[in-house]
Amino acid sequence: MRQALVLAALALLPGIGQAIYFRDKVSWQSPIPASEMVTVAQARAWDGNVIWVDARPDVEFERDHVPDAVPLNEDRWNELLPQFLATWSPEKRVVVYCSSQSCNASREVARRLRGEAQLKDVFVLQGGWEEWLKSRK
Amino acid sequence: MAEIAKVKFAWRIMDLVVGGVFIYAGVVKAFQPVRFASDIDNYKILPWTISVGLAFYLPWLEILCGLALILRRLYLGGLSILTALVLIFSGVTIAAKVRGLDITCGCFGHASQNWSFSGHLALDLVILAALLALYFKVTSENRLQNAV
Repeated sequence: MRQALVLAALALLPGIGQAIYFRDKVSWQSPIPASEMVTVAQARAWDGNVIWVDARPDVEFERDHVPDAVPLNEDRWNELLPQFLATWSPEKRVVVYCSSQSCNASREVARRLRGEAQLKDVFVLQGGWEEWLKSRK
Repeated sequence: MAEIAKVKFAWRIMDLVVGGVFIYAGVVKAFQPVRFASDIDNYKILPWTISVGLAFYLPWLEILCGLALILRRLYLGGLSILTALVLIFSGVTIAAKVRGLDITCGCFGHASQNWSFSGHLALDLVILAALLALYFKVTSENRLQNAV
């Protein structure tokens, strides 16, 4: 047991050193690079140049969503993607959101939009729908 | 006497192979901590912050424990940690499969990217068997020495 503790403690040293070395290359808050994240305030400042994409399930989208948002979730990706592309234009930035900070749907949809649809200027909304609701109050 | 030397040599080879496997696995991941953090995150068990912390820590723990087996320093500690790690890796892999997650284990970086679930689990079981064999061998040796 003592030997295991010594090894566990020793491994902390290079681990901490590496974390310091990589401090600018990885975010501890979110798996998405800071350059691909956007806050509600930033996205609002882009004004009409934004297409909001709702990556939540259909039921949640129907309940409420960001004004003029387009639904695009992975459950109905093939069906919804053409509808989204019909509203898209190159000068517009795309902001994808899901329920909250901890959900993954928005980053998956953003990843697929960049990869499969070859779109640039795709961002993930920090804090998602929850954050949007807070900013609305 | 020659027979004993052969058996000792075989056990030593096993130390080197098992230790080497973990050093290799650790080094591969230590070079790509961000990717390893994503691999951990894909299991959807831990928050991202903890995944990042583990991505910086676990590769070095594997390297040090692998070295412990090869150099025969802190040997039992290294064996205990590696056995626990393999049990945890196997458990979360099975859990991910049951939950229908289609993920790469990330155990050996890019090298393990296209491994099937059964291939990954088979390797885990082989390593686990080797670790347990080494563990019981060394503990029984210690018991004998204490008895004498």
